Amino acid sequence: MNGRTVTTDLLLGLAPIALLIAAWQALVSFGYAPVTLLPPPGQVFTRMIEQLLNPTFRQDIAATLFRLFVGFSIAVVVGVVIGLVAAANPAVNAVVRPIVRVLAPLPKVALYPALLLLLGFGHESKIALVAADALFPILLSTYYGASTVEQKLIWSAMAAGTPHREILLKVVLPAAAPSILTGCRIGLVISCIVVFLAEMITSTDGLGHVLVTAARTFQAVDMFVPLITISLLGLILNGALEALRSYLLRGFPEV
Amino acid sequence: MIVGRAFLVRLTPLLACIGLLAVWQAAAITLHNDSFPTAVEAIRAIPSILGDKDALINILASLRRMAIGFAVAVAVSIPLGLLMGRSRAVASFFNPLLMVIYPVPKAALMPIIMLWLGVGDLSKTLVIFLGVSLPVIYHSFAGAKAVEEKMLWSGAAMGLSAAQRLIRIVLPAALPEILTGCRTGLVLALITMITSEMIARQSGAGNILFNALDMGEYDTVFAMIIIVGAMGIGLDALFERIRARLVRWSEPQLDIPLSFS
Repeated sequence: MNGRTVTTDLLLGLAPIALLIAAWQALVSFGYAPVTLLPPPGQVFTRMIEQLLNPTFRQDIAATLFRLFVGFSIAVVVGVVIGLVAAANPAVNAVVRPIVRVLAPLPKVALYPALLLLLGFGHESKIALVAADALFPILLSTYYGASTVEQKLIWSAMAAGTPHREILLKVVLPAAAPSILTGCRIGLVISCIVVFLAEMITSTDGLGHVLVTAARTFQAVDMFVPLITISLLGLILNGALEALRSYLLRGFPEV
Repeated sequence: MIVGRAFLVRLTPLLACIGLLAVWQAAAITLHNDSFPTAVEAIRAIPSILGDKDALINILASLRRMAIGFAVAVAVSIPLGLLMGRSRAVASFFNPLLMVIYPVPKAALMPIIMLWLGVGDLSKTLVIFLGVSLPVIYHSFAGAKAVEEKMLWSGAAMGLSAAQRLIRIVLPAALPEILTGCRTGLVLALITMITSEMIARQSGAGNILFNALDMGEYDTVFAMIIIVGAMGIGLDALFERIRARLVRWSEPQLDIPLSFS
């Protein structure tokens, strides 16, 4: 891929976003949409910058990020451990598999009322929901990655005298890393979405709460700001994970 | 003997359900909390919900919205994803836009869409449509991208036009991947349905669930959770059967969907 195609791709990619903003502006300036329902993009971006300088809004972002990170980390740890063990041990697999089959297609948001009743209205219930939702993609891709590790690698390690328990950590985990990281990426997007939804349902702070408050008072401008913020956060976190991925997977063949 | 074993394998999800309900029952008895009914109490509350005519109509209306949103999303997303997979220009045109939209919770658009379109069926179906389309587009994209070039060359050599190649070679070759996307989309449709109804409290299954929570009718809350969960598991199992038929020739992939919210 040379520099020229990258530039063309970038221009092509920016075109629909620019068109969208232009159409948005056109709708407002030609009077098709009243400003109260659809504020012009300029106003939204000014408000966005204003809010980013506002300490209360930054605290909301911090609350959202805290829940997101804690929930996501729990999901990564639990998902990778269960996934690896299930792939290595047929007995564990026989128990985990049917349970996962039942729980994975279950809409986790429907569990939220139960989590609220059990864990209260604070951080815990939201973190639990994020973890529950992000867990399954990570668990499944870990399991998938670990069970498709080439048998020859394991045999070579055994022949070289690696103890049986260390094979899981030293051979299977690194070999499954690309698959695990793909799962983490899906889990991260899910975490962004779920933490926002949980905050919309019941919360006293966080980006979701900002949106709900704006919706109750019909402040259309303030409704766009948290949505754009969560989209940007998602992009930034995704970029960070991508960087981590290329660091961890250096030396792997291109996947 | 082999028949018995296969039967046992099919039975394991059921055993898992029973096991989970048993764990719930045990937890509820040990915690002994007013707001956490036992599994038996929750199951007992199910007939009174399904027997109530209003509630039943509400739940069916939810399912109808979900079906329409899902069908329209699939019809639009598969062609778009296939085109993206086969044409570099189309892919680089849509990719950044989709990347920006991906982490936005679709149900969170509900308050804004409600301002424009009202609280009726249209806005809820639109939100479901948005939620389903992204994974379907992505999986169709990935599936179409992975089609072997040689098959396309052979097709071209045999005189198939570009459109014919897309329908007769790319679509079948990408079908397993597309169906994986549809399965994710199905779970997502259910989740978006519940959340959109929770935000636009007016009708539907989500409304019953969260109204019961506000009124402190905890039996109903947990009964609705069972009903919604059963819908998810049931629809997923049904889809899996259809999928297994359509792509009998392909290698079985992950047999569990990577659900998105």
